[in-house]
Amino acid sequence: MTENNKPSKKDKKSFLYSLMNLLRLNALFNTSGSDRYKGLKIRIVLLDAVLSLIPLFIVVTISYFWFQQILKDDFRNQLKWEIENTKQSIEYFLDERLSTLRFITSTYTYEELSDQKKLNDVFIKIKKEFPGIVDFGVIDADGIQRSYAGPYRLQGVDYSNQNWFNEIVIRSSYISDVFMGYRKIPHFAIAVKKEIPEKRTFWVLRVTIDVETLKKYATSINLRENDDAFIVNHNGILQTTSRSHGNVLETFKNFTAVPEEKTSLKDFNHSKDDYGIYGYAYIKNVPWIFVSVIKSTPYAKIPNIFRNELFYITVLSILFSVAVTFMLTQTVVNRIKKSDQEREVAISEIEHSSKMASVGRLAAGVAHEINNPLAIINEKAGLMKDILEGSENLEKNKDKFLVLLNGIFDSVARCRTVTHRLLGFSRRMDISHDLTDINDAIKEVIGFIEKEMLYRNIKLVLNFKENLPRVITDKGQIQQVFLNIINNAVDAVEEGGQIEVSSDIKDINTIRVLIKDNGVGIPKDKLKHIFEPFYTTKEKDKGTGLGLSISYGIMQKLGGMILVESEVYKGTNFIIEIPVAAKAVKGGGL
Amino acid sequence: MSQTKVLLVDDEVEFASALAERLQLRNYYVHTANNALEALGLVYKDRPDVVILDLRIPGMDGIETLKTIKKYDPSIEVIMLTGHGDVQSVQEGMTSGAFEYIMKPVDIGELTSKIDKAQKKRKEG
Repeated sequence: MTENNKPSKKDKKSFLYSLMNLLRLNALFNTSGSDRYKGLKIRIVLLDAVLSLIPLFIVVTISYFWFQQILKDDFRNQLKWEIENTKQSIEYFLDERLSTLRFITSTYTYEELSDQKKLNDVFIKIKKEFPGIVDFGVIDADGIQRSYAGPYRLQGVDYSNQNWFNEIVIRSSYISDVFMGYRKIPHFAIAVKKEIPEKRTFWVLRVTIDVETLKKYATSINLRENDDAFIVNHNGILQTTSRSHGNVLETFKNFTAVPEEKTSLKDFNHSKDDYGIYGYAYIKNVPWIFVSVIKSTPYAKIPNIFRNELFYITVLSILFSVAVTFMLTQTVVNRIKKSDQEREVAISEIEHSSKMASVGRLAAGVAHEINNPLAIINEKAGLMKDILEGSENLEKNKDKFLVLLNGIFDSVARCRTVTHRLLGFSRRMDISHDLTDINDAIKEVIGFIEKEMLYRNIKLVLNFKENLPRVITDKGQIQQVFLNIINNAVDAVEEGGQIEVSSDIKDINTIRVLIKDNGVGIPKDKLKHIFEPFYTTKEKDKGTGLGLSISYGIMQKLGGMILVESEVYKGTNFIIEIPVAAKAVKGGGL
Repeated sequence: MSQTKVLLVDDEVEFASALAERLQLRNYYVHTANNALEALGLVYKDRPDVVILDLRIPGMDGIETLKTIKKYDPSIEVIMLTGHGDVQSVQEGMTSGAFEYIMKPVDIGELTSKIDKAQKKRKEG
């Protein structure tokens, strides 16, 4: 097999080519035997595995990240929804307190509530309904607390200089930040203003509420380990105590401003172990922001179930595709192997049949050459027997017997010539170096075929140069070349055609033999093929297509050459150039 | 019973003359010819009953000679002689009207029995 690994021109298939090269698919055509099929198998499996597994890995990877993204989105939506719910419940809690206060200010008059006893009644009733309320106070337009119900003694306290009182003069209600106040426990205040239009004055009902109640609402969101939820004011001061972001009234360090309108989620990644999501939601009518810190981000690690499933599916797919690849490869390689074997069988059959054809030709020729003298011997001996059986007097027939016996010896000599010639041809595989007279060699060859030429009325012209230098060459092989070419000439000419064989000296080192016929000639398109093995234009069984290629090989081996020139319907010239001293080549088969 | 007239055609003179003599000893009337033209001349001049014809003779192809003889007188029976197992030309000869064929070297008994059969057929036909 010839080298297939020539560098190709830049073509469109260069990718495939380089892939093939990468896997060295080409190289396997140069290896031989069972290794070749093994190598072929391995490389097809590799190529196929690469081609089928790459898409598999792409799909698996994409679906992994796709699933992770879905989980993340889902989780964030869920979180947002929870934050909004919590925010709404805080708003609802505050709204409810405000409504209650408005209800009280509409139901009772300033005078009624200024009465300490009446205020106490109302306080006790309300406290029952709404736990977390610490105290009640009624404040007049001058900021003086007129009456007070609660655990402290705060009647008569002047609030006129406090911010919240100034605010409420302008607005109808007020909810304060968390503060320590007189009581030194964190709480916040809700105040409602009641106008008295006929007196052109107003009064204020104020309650304080325990921060713990607020915290309960803030932490009603579904919290996992490491998560946190709390309320800060617009300056980032904690309004409720957090799990891990400081106590009430401390500052929330990681506070960032966010848009007020909607719930926002912000990813954070402070360190390798400190990452998660901040959720911010502004609470209506209060300077508060509900903050949740979610560190339990489950999507960061895809649930094991999914991961395991993906793993099993991937492994199964790989196993399946490898199995299919193996089966496919087995089939393909077996096919190739089988067709290779079939080709080898076909080639050896051709070789055998061509060998048989040439053996058959030779056998037929030999049979004819030997049968004729045998027939003569048969008849002469038979005649002698006939005479012996029919006559008593041997002396009378003595001369006749001698003539007949001489005839028998002549025929035996003819047979001997044939067998010797045959032996000369069989010794031809190794180059021998005989001192050869080319003219004699040609004459011997012609002895083989002159009968055939005679029968077909072919005129043979011999034009030998006298005193040719004798050459050192393999006589048997050079004779085979002459025989092949003269045989071809005999086949090429019509009955009554002419073949001319001449010898000459070309130069001091070379003898030149010309075999010229006036036969059908060889067309130009066929001329270039005639030295190829198995190329023949003769009928089946008559030519092997090997004669000229063998002759060509022999002449190369002997350091000479064969040239051919031909013209259709005019004839063909074969010129054989023989070196006077054959090339010193070691012998070997053709 | 008159002698059977045999024409023996073969280019090997030695063979033809020895075989002719043996046939004469067996009471056949024998002529020999060494090529096709000579053979056809004797067929015309001598009117043989049976021709023993080598398939490979110079001058004209044996098969052609056979056809010419059968064309001239279909009643002349021809026995083909062949030096080697050339099955193809034997088949061609048989389809061209030959009576029999015999391989070289020839067994004299086989040859005479074939000549007699040919002669018998001639007389019956």
